Amino acid sequence: MSVTLVGVLFVAAGLTALGAFIAAWKRELTAALGGLPVMFAGAGTAFAGVARFSAASGALLIGQEMAVLLAIAALAAVGLGVGLAGRESPR
Amino acid sequence: MDSLHAIGFYVSAALAGLGGILLAFLHGHVRRGAALALTGLGLAGIYLSLSAGFAAIVVLICYAAAAAVLARPDYRTVEQVTGGLWRQVGAVGAALLLAVLAYAAFRGTFAHATFYGGAFGSVSVARLLFAHDALATEAVGGLVLLTLVGAAAAWRRERPREEREGRR
Repeated sequence: MSVTLVGVLFVAAGLTALGAFIAAWKRELTAALGGLPVMFAGAGTAFAGVARFSAASGALLIGQEMAVLLAIAALAAVGLGVGLAGRESPR
Repeated sequence: MDSLHAIGFYVSAALAGLGGILLAFLHGHVRRGAALALTGLGLAGIYLSLSAGFAAIVVLICYAAAAAVLARPDYRTVEQVTGGLWRQVGAVGAALLLAVLAYAAFRGTFAHATFYGGAFGSVSVARLLFAHDALATEAVGGLVLLTLVGAAAAWRRERPREEREGRR
């Protein structure tokens, strides 16, 4: 059993499409917002896979760097979305 | 990549996918937060099996924080005015996206190279973030800071509760 770049890209495609499905399907905007981190997870997986399998010797790990930045961007997107949705006053 | 890493990769991928599916179909803030945390756990496992240990730790922290934000009980539920037809068109579009990306991955021919990096890679990534791409890192950091300040400012304003019936 082994993992190839094609396998990693299949997983990345699945996560990206799943995130797009969540963003399109959910009726509540704050719930649809949860699709963004899943889409970013797919993109990050593709970047990390390319850094792992296709890097020539001595190449910089730019794919891993992008994966880190995408994770931070996902957190910021969720924070901004929930913040913009606003706090509900208690009953 | 040996069998142990391969098993770790596929199990983690299944966890991430399961988390995403649960996120799509579960109702309730806490459940959705837990599903996002499961996705983050799976993603961290994927990164770990791809020799990106530093990225895995960052993902664990960021997705746990995002899950905690999504699981909060006191944010407002905003509903779309888009009709069911457009939502279904969007879902079909997501399926088409999956088909196109999977076809591109299947048909792609990639050069294979030996990986010389370590299992963790923190030094290499830190060199990139703070030396090679320092300006871009500062720009992203500034953008994230502005985003979080804006979110905090928006959060301070309290909105009246809307009456709903079991649509969380």
